[in-house]
Amino acid sequence: MYSWRLFKDTINPVSTALGLSIDDTLPLSLAQHGSPPILHLYIFKPSAIVGKYQDIEAALRLDRCRNSEIEYNRRSTGGGTVIMGPKVVALGLGIGINQPGLKKGIGGIFESLSAVLTKALRDLGVNAGFRPKNDLEVDGKKIAGLSAALETEKAILFHASLLVDFNIPLMLDIMNQPPLKLYDKGYNCFSQRITTITEQLGHDIEMERVVEAIENAFSQKFGASFEKDEPDTWEKKNIEDFITRRYTNHDWIFSHKHPRSKMGMGEFKTPGGLLEIYLSLAGNTIEHIIITGDFFSTTKDINLLESSLKWTSAKRDKIEEHLTEAWKEDMIYGVNVSTLTEAIEKAKENLVTI
Amino acid sequence: MADIKGYDMPDELYYHEEHSWARVEGNRVTVGMDDMFQKEAGDIVFVDLPEEEDEVEQGEVCGKIQSRKWIGKLCAPVSGEIVEINEELEDETSLINQDPYGKGWILVIEGNDVENELANLMHGDSLIPFIDREIQRTEEERANA
Repeated sequence: MYSWRLFKDTINPVSTALGLSIDDTLPLSLAQHGSPPILHLYIFKPSAIVGKYQDIEAALRLDRCRNSEIEYNRRSTGGGTVIMGPKVVALGLGIGINQPGLKKGIGGIFESLSAVLTKALRDLGVNAGFRPKNDLEVDGKKIAGLSAALETEKAILFHASLLVDFNIPLMLDIMNQPPLKLYDKGYNCFSQRITTITEQLGHDIEMERVVEAIENAFSQKFGASFEKDEPDTWEKKNIEDFITRRYTNHDWIFSHKHPRSKMGMGEFKTPGGLLEIYLSLAGNTIEHIIITGDFFSTTKDINLLESSLKWTSAKRDKIEEHLTEAWKEDMIYGVNVSTLTEAIEKAKENLVTI
Repeated sequence: MADIKGYDMPDELYYHEEHSWARVEGNRVTVGMDDMFQKEAGDIVFVDLPEEEDEVEQGEVCGKIQSRKWIGKLCAPVSGEIVEINEELEDETSLINQDPYGKGWILVIEGNDVENELANLMHGDSLIPFIDREIQRTEEERANA
């Protein structure tokens, strides 16, 4: 058994600038400084963090963030917006792409690291599983988000956020969502799509217990022991550099390197009832989709269909292809792939640039 | 057109081990990402391109590519000056998935040492063991998992 380094603090929430700068230093330290893998487990001050190539002004209501003293920033890994805070475990991992036990390729890396987090959640009593579009879920509800970036030659930065508890009203207040008609509908939509460790267990749990479970799951998966550590002088210099160059730099936070964001809503009457589709696109990719209406289905099946479309092309033939792959008989009573595709096309017709 | 283990890898191109390809016409080198990359990555969400007139070294990261929640890199297969960028990718990143060696090209480099640098790239038969290794590594890791 050999040692990995562990940077851990679940008592003192950190600023987005500090937390993200430490994370960016992790793969750099492996690639250029000879460090073994480093696991960083911590909590942020209340904050909203967008993906590297997201339009922050389209993703967030920045005035609401400022009024509510919610920090906002841009991370260096992909994916969408995450809302962080003292009850969300932030995980940064610097790991070599040739690390024994880590599967190869993009899909393999997500699969391996998801398996570790799934094990940690199961050890805590939460029956989580991997959702193939890079989220962890329980009965179709998202409980953790994952993202990654290959910034150096041989090491990646992997990010995860695990929801121990979550404030849906805050999320609805500070995020630009597709134009849901009613606040209550918005709340219901998201409460049916997101869950937390606390909700699953039915009682509160200490953050320390959650991070210990994560630590143990990594130890078992990679045959490593952890040595609690903190950044050394070389790493501190890089952290300061990232704080200056990226996370307190207006040009980084408000970067214009992103696809155009568009949102829209569409309705389509079917024999199974009315389908309402709320759609957010990043360029021609579906970033977010909500399928709702007055039809008969299950939360799990609807979330499965939505997941099959997230981060895929918004072209009609691709939508049809991905829905067909995910489709099972009577997923939505009285609706088939063709009518669901048509409803999504209606939402596309009504897209407006944010 | 060559099919290697299910991946379309045209014979006339040169390949960098980070999955960028090079079509060489004198010193003018068109660059894109190969079929193995696009199949593994899935739908491309965004391509972060360099600027025209930027100088790049062989193997240097000259762009970033986001697919799903992953951000990967575009490595320059040769050294030189970037003289053209595929602006169609700004609105239609899926061209890399649909037509990686045609409309999905990413940029053009005016090479300054193309003849010598091609020796560092894979071409023709030398590609087969590389693809085999990439597939084998994945399968071994899956078996050991």
